[in-house]
Amino acid sequence: MLRRILFSLFSLLVVIATVMLLVYNLIPRGAIFQMDDVWNKKSLNDRTIYEYAQYQKFGYLEYSDFTSFLRSKYEGRYGAEYTKSDEFKAAKEAIQNENTYLDNPDVQEFIEMFEKEGYKIKYLEPQRSPSGKAKKGGDGYLVAVVERSVFTRLWNYLTHLITVETVNDVQDPALTERYVRVEHDPYSGLFAVVGSGTTHKYQLYFDGRFPFIHQNWIHLNLGTSFTKFRGQEITDVINRPTGDQVKAQTQYPAKLGTDEYINSAIDFHTLTYNSSPRTKTEMKQFPDQYTTYSYRIDGLSMLENSFVIGLIATAIAYLFGLPLGIAMARHKDGLGDKIGNGYIIFSIAVPGLARIFLFAAIGTTLFGLPYKFANAEAKILAYILPTLSLALPSIGNLMKWMRRYMIDQMNSDYVKFARAEGMSEKEIYRKHISPNAMIYLVHGIPGNILGCLIGAIITERVYSVPGVGGLLTNAINGYDNGIIVACTVFYTTLSIISLILGDLLLAKYDPRISLSSSKGGGR
Amino acid sequence: MSEQTTRNQDGLFRFIDKDTIQSEKITAPRYSYWASVFRVFFRKKTNLVMIILFILIFLCAFVIPAIAPYDAYENLRDATSFNLSPAAAMAKYDGFSFKWILGTGPMGNSIFYGIWASAQTSLLLAIICAAINMTIGIILGAVWGYSKRFDQVMLVIYNIIANVPYILMITVLVYIIGSGFWSFVFAMTITGWLGIAYFFRTQVMIIRDREYSLASRCLGTPIPRMISKNILPFLTSVIVTVLATELPSYISSEVFLSYIGVGLSAEIPSLGRMIQQAQSAFLVYPWEFWPPVAIASAITVILYVLGQNLADASDPRTHM
Repeated sequence: MLRRILFSLFSLLVVIATVMLLVYNLIPRGAIFQMDDVWNKKSLNDRTIYEYAQYQKFGYLEYSDFTSFLRSKYEGRYGAEYTKSDEFKAAKEAIQNENTYLDNPDVQEFIEMFEKEGYKIKYLEPQRSPSGKAKKGGDGYLVAVVERSVFTRLWNYLTHLITVETVNDVQDPALTERYVRVEHDPYSGLFAVVGSGTTHKYQLYFDGRFPFIHQNWIHLNLGTSFTKFRGQEITDVINRPTGDQVKAQTQYPAKLGTDEYINSAIDFHTLTYNSSPRTKTEMKQFPDQYTTYSYRIDGLSMLENSFVIGLIATAIAYLFGLPLGIAMARHKDGLGDKIGNGYIIFSIAVPGLARIFLFAAIGTTLFGLPYKFANAEAKILAYILPTLSLALPSIGNLMKWMRRYMIDQMNSDYVKFARAEGMSEKEIYRKHISPNAMIYLVHGIPGNILGCLIGAIITERVYSVPGVGGLLTNAINGYDNGIIVACTVFYTTLSIISLILGDLLLAKYDPRISLSSSKGGGR
Repeated sequence: MSEQTTRNQDGLFRFIDKDTIQSEKITAPRYSYWASVFRVFFRKKTNLVMIILFILIFLCAFVIPAIAPYDAYENLRDATSFNLSPAAAMAKYDGFSFKWILGTGPMGNSIFYGIWASAQTSLLLAIICAAINMTIGIILGAVWGYSKRFDQVMLVIYNIIANVPYILMITVLVYIIGSGFWSFVFAMTITGWLGIAYFFRTQVMIIRDREYSLASRCLGTPIPRMISKNILPFLTSVIVTVLATELPSYISSEVFLSYIGVGLSAEIPSLGRMIQQAQSAFLVYPWEFWPPVAIASAITVILYVLGQNLADASDPRTHM
């Protein structure tokens, strides 16, 4: 088992590396500018610099330009007025002359510093019109660029995958007290683990919302969105509720104990450290630097939406598919079997897209069910069509296999023996054939349940369910490389866990099956 | 042997010499595997109907675009020709004609010609992809299941490739090699054989250790012959079953990939693209949406049913 888990982890690593290679090295990166108006308006060197900036944003490379180097160098020395210093002006001027720019001491320092770190220095020569004036966008630039290899990328990714908050997270020298301790929590009335020096104030707390106990101590960062959910981590994106703000009577931390209540959706359990000095109003509201908060929002998150629909659909599929499959096998070649077979053919052979639209058309016109999720007045009704669209083909699939395996078992010797013993047909089917036929289907159950976390791409898009199904395709279309990698890691982990759980369940269900390879010949 | 020759002139029996050649002959009725398969196959009348329907669709898909080439952009400049219902289209263009029998699409294109040109693409795609994937999948799967050393290597490869999201793989390939017909075939087949090979690996492993294979191996039968004579004939019905699910699956895949935006390029008429273009307004302009859906469904259902029945017929146990 341990060997298997290690092997799975190795596969996971190779999968991540492969996907990184695919998205960062094989997809032509210039395509991100196809729809970009800013890029179209820029010309010459300005356009090249803009490209570098965008590439950095999408995670392709890292670059640093001379001006920001000068800024960090002289801002410390001259303060905010650094642009007026002579050295700064001279250095800025120097790179506009392609013949003499190397003589400037700042340029030399820049080149030396970045070359040592493995960057490539690129000098964009100033482009001049015949009159000697710089063309529009033709200013000279000096930049240092580094491309990451797949291995550094993978290493960076893995080292940032799990972060644990410590009391030294906040780099602010003004913070004197650093601790993590259990305190009375005025917002829940219970106790909470509160930190000072940690990024989040509340490390562990209770709350009236599912799953009632929350933690901010360990963060799993699967990847960060570059474009669509700018700068947000995917774990936050898929777990954030999608509904409206919930207002409640609450108090600012500094006003606790007074009778100054506010009606607001602020969730004070989400306070994080903000190192910029507090404003006057903030001084009155907060006793410390933990001043950044987010709001309390109701409704299900993207992940929950997909999971709820998928889980109900899976439950329906097993509840109906298995008994129907058994019934078909029992009355083989009867009318019910023929109708069932017709349904199986329909659910397997008709393209999924066509089938979903057919359900949508029937559901909306005949039964008046809401079509688009967002427009539905009663949210509960909006779940019906997507759930059924998912459940009906799964029912067909389960019927097919259950019937097949039942029929295979029906001619076995043990069934003949049971019949010879005088057992009733009902008893034979219930106690002997069905459990044996189920052996083949048990393995897939964990996969089907965990698969609901991936979401259903077409179903969700057709009914515009705010779920996770379209996450990967949207990310691919939008060059959101961080999300692509994150999705791959998430999906691969789910599939590995499903396989292992399936094997365990199978071994539990059928004691004849052994998971260790030493028994039974070890092929 | 007739009675005359076994008796002499007196009507008594006479001795005949032992004929070694004759004694080697088995006088059972001749059994031909494929003849029996087709005998059983055509016993079912639905199969005949399905075959006729399939030939009809096949002919339409190849003959109609040849006679009347489909041009999706012919009425692009005439905005009044967009999204016309069949009746409106025929009223606009000189009365009844097959061209406008299903109305016009979002660019004034003829839906009727469109679905046949698209069906041609889909059929070609399905047949070519299935042929490539099945050939590679069966051959590699047979070796994979037979050789234990190869199995270890292939399992690692399988675990990795099977976990790279399929949509991502297709998208990347489409970016690199373009979205023409043959690029699409390449994208569908570069890893498509892997699942088939994995399926056959398991099947081969089951048969590999049966007694008759063991006996063959003891007699020193070389591996290629073991695979081709002992294992593959046993798998015929399984192969046909897989083919029956594979063929329609490429048509569904193309529809799905077009829907999410990584399908064939815009110049190539395809059922997926037609469905994708019509899906947003499928309640308003139903004549644009249902014909391609109906053709796609008809092709997939027919291929599936035919394949399943052929698989049943190719199981020798049904030949009695």
